Amino acid sequence: MIAFTARRGAMLLVALLVSSFVIFASLDLAPGDPLSTLSGGRTLPPETVAQLQADYNLDDPFLSRYVSWLGGAVQGDLGTSIRFRQPVGTLIGDRIGVTLGLVAYASLLIVLFGVGLGVLAGLRKGWLDTSILVTSTVFAAVPSFVMAIVLLSIFAVNLGWFPALGAGDGLIDGIKHLTLPAIALAASAGAIVVRVTRVSVRSEMGREHVQTAVSRGIPSSLVVRRHVLRNAAIPVTTVVGVTITSLIALSAVIERAFGLNGLGQALVEAALSKDLAVVQGIALVMVAAFVLSNAIVDLLYSVLDPRVALGSRAS
Amino acid sequence: MRRGARLARPAVAVALAALAAAGCGKEAGGGNASAGGDGAVAAPATANLNPTTPAAKSEVPSATWATYREVGTIDPAQAFDYPENTVITSMCESLLRQEPDGSIVAGLAEPFERPDPKTVVITLREGPKFWNGKPVTADDVVFSLKRMQDPATPSFYPATFSRVSSIAKTGDREVTLKLSEPDFWLDGQLSQMAGVVVEKAFAEKAGKKLGTPQGGIMCSGAYELGKWTPGTALTVKRHDAYWDAAQKAKVGEVEFRGVPDESALTSGLLTGEIDGTYTLGVSTFEQLQASKDLKVSAGPSWALESFVVSDLKGVLGDVKVRQALSMAIDRQGYIQTVLHGQAQLPRTLANPGGFASGKAAWEQHWNALPEPKLDVEGAKKLVEEAGATGKTLTIGMSSEVSAINAMATALREAGTRIGLKVKLKSVSAANFINFFTDPKAREGVDGFPTVNYSDYASPVGLWGTFALKDGSQNYSGYENPQVTKLMGQMRAEADPDKAAELGGQIGDILAKDLPWIAVSAPNSVLVTNAKLTGAPTSFTYMGGPWANLLGGV
Repeated sequence: MIAFTARRGAMLLVALLVSSFVIFASLDLAPGDPLSTLSGGRTLPPETVAQLQADYNLDDPFLSRYVSWLGGAVQGDLGTSIRFRQPVGTLIGDRIGVTLGLVAYASLLIVLFGVGLGVLAGLRKGWLDTSILVTSTVFAAVPSFVMAIVLLSIFAVNLGWFPALGAGDGLIDGIKHLTLPAIALAASAGAIVVRVTRVSVRSEMGREHVQTAVSRGIPSSLVVRRHVLRNAAIPVTTVVGVTITSLIALSAVIERAFGLNGLGQALVEAALSKDLAVVQGIALVMVAAFVLSNAIVDLLYSVLDPRVALGSRAS
Repeated sequence: MRRGARLARPAVAVALAALAAAGCGKEAGGGNASAGGDGAVAAPATANLNPTTPAAKSEVPSATWATYREVGTIDPAQAFDYPENTVITSMCESLLRQEPDGSIVAGLAEPFERPDPKTVVITLREGPKFWNGKPVTADDVVFSLKRMQDPATPSFYPATFSRVSSIAKTGDREVTLKLSEPDFWLDGQLSQMAGVVVEKAFAEKAGKKLGTPQGGIMCSGAYELGKWTPGTALTVKRHDAYWDAAQKAKVGEVEFRGVPDESALTSGLLTGEIDGTYTLGVSTFEQLQASKDLKVSAGPSWALESFVVSDLKGVLGDVKVRQALSMAIDRQGYIQTVLHGQAQLPRTLANPGGFASGKAAWEQHWNALPEPKLDVEGAKKLVEEAGATGKTLTIGMSSEVSAINAMATALREAGTRIGLKVKLKSVSAANFINFFTDPKAREGVDGFPTVNYSDYASPVGLWGTFALKDGSQNYSGYENPQVTKLMGQMRAEADPDKAAELGGQIGDILAKDLPWIAVSAPNSVLVTNAKLTGAPTSFTYMGGPWANLLGGV
């Protein structure tokens, strides 16, 4: 366990270091000027530009800017946003709650409904299976921003059951505000989880040891719990893990559509205006989340299947 | 003077528009619907748009107002775009005040006095107080103006003071500006951001943090800064001790939220979560207009959609080709489909909504100019005369910015109609700005579309940037001695009617010279909840007080 944690910790550090350099370099090479977005694009007086460049250290050479950013980052100072005129740490702190809440809510929906319906469809052949299959096909095909618009127009604008934008205050209000966004975020990914779960349950059902257990008269609930679900859990965990990780990046689209000021929204805006410090900071949070959720999935593997040694390498 | 760079309209908005159109089956005018030669014109020469909505009758505890993105700063020296201007004008006051109709009246100061053409005496009114109760003094004015004048602030407005050689306190409530040359454009310039007065003591203490979430601001307006949580909202509270009792705010709190996405904006307005917004055009216009819970009002604007001719050495170097391109733009079709009819046909490079001072003279010239009509045959003839048939016209654009994309498409159609080969050079939304800032980006490009506006209600605010040789947006090196002379005379003209007459003459020349090519003169559009009223409909929200007029019906 200690070795596993240490290895993952080291992996996280390397991933953060490499990605920070790649992001810094690519944004630096991309054309565009962070100052021009300050003015809504108007031509600024040259003296003002010079002042702003000095204020934000924009005229230093690339490497020295990267090193000074890295030096600050190690000490917990992620720099100052040009676009939002705020320390990046504060900016992330202000927005991370919304994104975490949204992703957690959507993950919950995916696990509950994605896995639940998938198991149901896998175990029960017939009309239920068919209808779950058809519904999930439709949901899997609808991109999340279209889903967002459909949900908005039905449940917010026409029926008025849910608010259309913002994140709300407090727990109850927050849940109310995040319900539609979470559904929009979870729908397509959840549908894929349904299908993967269904197939793996189905294939486990057909396995020899399951058939043997059934023919020997072992109660079907026991067979399902011990032999089918346990074995089907490995591919399902993999796909749920990957799906949830991808939600973090996907949330940008949903945040925009529902007027949520989360990390994704800030990332898009910062990238458009070449606000390097913000892009860096948020990207690092995302990389960390990625590495962490992968570690959790690996942990789950070893819990689910003792044959999988913790931290074993791919063969 | 500036570009409204409303960047990055994502696919979401387009999809919602499609959904809305499919839902109600309404389609605004077809692309070529107005191309017929019957001369039937829907819009009058200068639309009679009401700059205000019926006055507010009751108080309202709170309202939520949307801007197209979050507010970045509330420092007036660095306010240059819609969100910042909209919020700052609700809180801060300038030396002179822009009224909803664009006229400029006393603000913190009395109308400027000029004992001689090169001296401007600014006398503060009695009464103006900052939110902390301290009076607005001559020291605050000197400090604020110098802060605006100094690029190292960093300020975006030093150009305003190009003719100001000194700023000095000459009395308890008096500040005197010495000018190198007479400058009657100062009044307009100091009626908006460049003329905002902040408290000296507060600003010095805040230093570079002034206007940031940590530093805040100290102004004198009808609303004071409340809670500002970046990422959520900026709230302004009614300042109960506001010095100008007649202009006291009627809404207890106004919450400003950044809503970049049009579908989110539309649903927010329809559900009542957003109470109002100013917009230059939304793709869901019909849907908003159809809602009985909302009120959509058009007002005069000083913005102009146009094609920046950035290279006079290429195919557009011949004025005949520029004229031909202008004649071949289907402006009526464009206005109907893209702007939902919310624009006027530009007879010259001006928006008649901005004819505030010396209106009669401006309008006389405007009315004497022919209305732009689609004339493909005439245009083709001009291109043939210029020997430009088959030559290539390259338009810089970004397909990611819907307004730019729509104009570029209209221009491409026009170019193709008159026998030019049109190439579109499309860049990302973020890089579109480079056409304005980077000479390299302009290489090989003949021009690019823009939405530009003047800082106050007069076309000269914009003309100064592209019709004069040293203008900040004169990329092509355009120069017409007659224009230069008239602009100089106009800037030094004390009488507003005579100045407007000179402006009218400049407009007549620009309509033929076409240093830029106007595409449309869009109206300002105000959308509010039907329970609210009082807000100006005009473009004044960019430079003058507006939120204090808002209230219940």
